[in-house]
Amino acid sequence: MTSYLYEKDLVPQKYRILVANRHDALVRGIARELDIPVQELRKYLIEHLDMMLLENLPARAEMADAHADRDDPLARALGREKYTLYLKILPDVTMEHIFREVSDRVHAGSATEDALAYGRVRILEELRR
Amino acid sequence: MKRTVDVNIPLGPIHPCFKEPARLKCEAKGERIVSAEVELGYMKKGIERIMKGRPWQEVMFLAERVCGICSVIHNMVFIEAMEQISGISVPPRAANLRVIANELDRMQSHLLANFSYCYTIEHETLGMYLLDLREQVMDELERLTGARVTCAYIIPGGVRCDILPENAELLQASLDRIERDLRRYAGMFADGPMIALRSRGVGILTPEAAQRAHAVGPTARASGITIDCRVNHPTYQKLGFVPVSRTDCDNYARIMVRFDEVAQSISLIRKSLQDLPAGIIRGGGICKAGETRYSGEAPRGELTYFIKSDEFGRILEIQIQTPSIMNIEACCHEMIIGVDSIADVTSTFVSSDPCIACTER
Repeated sequence: MTSYLYEKDLVPQKYRILVANRHDALVRGIARELDIPVQELRKYLIEHLDMMLLENLPARAEMADAHADRDDPLARALGREKYTLYLKILPDVTMEHIFREVSDRVHAGSATEDALAYGRVRILEELRR
Repeated sequence: MKRTVDVNIPLGPIHPCFKEPARLKCEAKGERIVSAEVELGYMKKGIERIMKGRPWQEVMFLAERVCGICSVIHNMVFIEAMEQISGISVPPRAANLRVIANELDRMQSHLLANFSYCYTIEHETLGMYLLDLREQVMDELERLTGARVTCAYIIPGGVRCDILPENAELLQASLDRIERDLRRYAGMFADGPMIALRSRGVGILTPEAAQRAHAVGPTARASGITIDCRVNHPTYQKLGFVPVSRTDCDNYARIMVRFDEVAQSISLIRKSLQDLPAGIIRGGGICKAGETRYSGEAPRGELTYFIKSDEFGRILEIQIQTPSIMNIEACCHEMIIGVDSIADVTSTFVSSDPCIACTER
């Protein structure tokens, strides 16, 4: 989104949204899942998501838990729809690429947990890019 | 990669069509909106922080000050959450009176939302008619509770005051008048060719997008998602409540759902009055320690309170999830994207009945 010269810095406001009880619990949960420091994830979210999306993150996460990837256990475990369509943390194309890699590993005989661990490392790489 | 856009349009924070300050930043290619973002922070109250550590008797008044338009439901959800924590039961007469106050509040909120929409699409005549109708509803709310807004009508274990028989008759007569006028105004909106040009097929929110953003209330029900917390509420279940929904997914559907819900509220109030049981209106009870998540159906959708209290009824932790958070997010990331005319941005935004006071809390 275009930034305007006369606008104030929104980082402190976004940070306050993220440290509210439910938001904090959600961010810590994602950080645990992806094995990323909480501060780093917060910084990523502040830089990539707008204020309304940050406010709505817990509600979106609840909907993701209820509806995302219901027919595909592997995609659900990786968070394919959760991190793209619902939480909008990653672009669809990137996530699709990672999911294909994980899926290929499973089909090649790798253990599901190992493939998922690889997928999470790839997600982390994309977040840090 | 550098993005190219033709026009950046900042709307607000002060805008004649917005009831409250918010900045809507849009990017357009030609007339088509390609991205939008709502920027908050112009009226942050920090009310959750103020509530912490205070006794429920104080928090009850703070809760209804989250939003001036839907204050009754904030009062109701907070009190019913405390009742759930403390195991306090409500006398049947008080339960029906709560429904009456809540539905009157919903009626005035929906009429105000539809007024705002008509005003935004430059149909001021219909807008003024609706505002006049809302005043009649406000009068009834005042007659029942003693105040137009921040009524503090609902208390743990009951309601503050009973409805007098003569006031019940006046309410019935007023409902007849409001229903007659409402039918006419809803017809004007439904059949207006110019209104249809500005409303039909504009601001589409698909059911999938609505579900992903957890859109609630009339915004979701206009997209065919029949979620309504009243379905799970025991008093509404007794009244045979069935949610209203439409499948058009556009601005027109959202306004028509509100018209339909006003008519539905009238019938719910009539039924509540008709089945009003005799008896006490205050059962009493003591607020205790506990933790709960409680949701109620506000005019704009599901309102949720997360509360933790101590043995003296003091609020240790509280978080409020208002419906506007979800609806505004769905609006700026789904409904406004792809709108074919910049002129339709404000009307689409207003069609979701955004409440910035609720969102910023």
